[in-house]
Amino acid sequence: MTAVAAMASERKRGAGGNTDAFLGVLLITPIVLVMAALVFFPLIDTVWDSLHRINPMQPGTPFIGLANYANMLTDGDVNASWINTLIYVVIAVTVETVAGVTGAALINQVKIGRQWVLAAVILPWALPGVVNATIWLWIYQPGAGLLNGILTAFGLPFENHVWFNDRTSAIIAVVTVHIWRMLPLTIVIVLAAMQSIPGELYEAARIDGASRTSMFGSITLPLIRSAIAMTNGTVAAFNFFDEAWVLAGPSLDTRPILIQIYLEAFQNLHFSYGMALSLVVTIVSLLVSLVYVVRVYRNTRLD
Amino acid sequence: MQQQSLAFRIMIWLGVAVLLVWSLGPIYWTLASAITPTTDFSSRPIHFVPIHFTLDHFERLLGINVDRIGGVEVWAQFRAALFNSIVAALASTVVCVAIAALGGYAFTRLTFPGRRVIFIAVVATLAIPGYAVLIPLYRLMTSLHMVDTFVGVTLIYVSAFLPLSLWLLKSVFESLPISIEEAAQLDGASRLYILFRIVLPLAAPGLTAAAILTFLGAWGQYAVPLIFSPTQTKPLTVLIPEFATKNFIDYGLITAAGSIAIIIPALVVIFLNRYLISGLLAGSAK
Repeated sequence: MTAVAAMASERKRGAGGNTDAFLGVLLITPIVLVMAALVFFPLIDTVWDSLHRINPMQPGTPFIGLANYANMLTDGDVNASWINTLIYVVIAVTVETVAGVTGAALINQVKIGRQWVLAAVILPWALPGVVNATIWLWIYQPGAGLLNGILTAFGLPFENHVWFNDRTSAIIAVVTVHIWRMLPLTIVIVLAAMQSIPGELYEAARIDGASRTSMFGSITLPLIRSAIAMTNGTVAAFNFFDEAWVLAGPSLDTRPILIQIYLEAFQNLHFSYGMALSLVVTIVSLLVSLVYVVRVYRNTRLD
Repeated sequence: MQQQSLAFRIMIWLGVAVLLVWSLGPIYWTLASAITPTTDFSSRPIHFVPIHFTLDHFERLLGINVDRIGGVEVWAQFRAALFNSIVAALASTVVCVAIAALGGYAFTRLTFPGRRVIFIAVVATLAIPGYAVLIPLYRLMTSLHMVDTFVGVTLIYVSAFLPLSLWLLKSVFESLPISIEEAAQLDGASRLYILFRIVLPLAAPGLTAAAILTFLGAWGQYAVPLIFSPTQTKPLTVLIPEFATKNFIDYGLITAAGSIAIIIPALVVIFLNRYLISGLLAGSAK
């Protein structure tokens, strides 16, 4: 494909190569302007400003070197939010992988009305994250909430149970909402990978007398590994904000690192400290994505 | 095809049923609560199916027969927020898909200096969490007096969703047969004629997928408008949690507002699911 395109543009160059180059630059100008002004400039600005003290409540912006980064290491709130974030990511990646593969395998078996099942399953992902969180806030409500209502209906003493009084249950409550929203993405991606596995592989295994379970373990799982790594990578983007903020506000029990940054920057107005934190989050997140990209790449080569 | 045992099929259907209850249960509960009279919320044990029906919450939300609730003009706020959400999401979708389509074509078919480097740089920003640049963006927008304006928030959404649309559209353009374009060129058609009359119509499904992803993304944003659209351009996503945190917690109102915020994404999922899924798959294959 690329070779053909290159040949075609080679052919063009004699007649109108310059016009094409000019048109090309013209067509990408809006993209370059938007990305330069709103992504690349702010990123560079973040690096530079994180080395200064920038706080609207204090005059001047003196150079302070790596002080912001050094302060981070001994900042109890920052460390607590990193630990919370790590817990969220580990739970979310584990549950979303297991439930996502199970869900995709189930839908893959559905012959009639599959697109309707799929539409129903995707719906939570399509809703605004904050609306999802508000829905669950109502479900977790101590008195009239659905969760306590169901537990009470089973005869359990949960009628007025408060889920956010205890750190463990609060964290599980927050991560449940994240899983509810992000599981559809895992299911869609894994399902597509399953459907691209050639049927002959299963046919051959069946002739050899393989059971369903052993086929799943020796054919399906290895061939959807890349898809799983990909979905894990998207979870690991530390995208925890809406759920924790709506359900538990700034509570340190559930505070993820992104809320810590938001509080530092927009409530305490420690702009440059927040920027230093953002930069660390960006780097960590890039490193994590890199691990997954390498894994996907390796798997693809083995395939 | 091997005959599936009855037990196996029952297991599959049970599993699918659990999956459906898990996915739709909370949405059902929202809709059910939105039509339940406030007095029924205090009955114990709770009713899983509403026993009385009311449109009271929707009437209060939309300002029918009621002006103020707890001294606040809820309906005026709600209508403004609905309008703001629609404007910001539509504007970002149109701008984002338009410039991604133009650029995507240039990156696919035209040769110019730096095309690989620029493309890779733009797409690489997909790996950066959007929250990482919010603080410098806030200072930039403040200095340009663009905080709480549609232009400001639209530009931010465009910069956030552009890389995904660009990636998606470039792969769509690459998959189109180049022979049609070459034939048109031989007939003397200009590049722009080819782009607008041949390539873009052929890429319509891809454009739809990019538009859906951008629209849903912008429609659902929370942290960005919390900072950049606090009052005049406040969208639904910022308004709805306020019903829960202000001095009155009114779950009837919250669930009614939530039901309305759900409608548009639900319509997209029901009618445009094919495009949505193809977009998700193309977007995730980065």
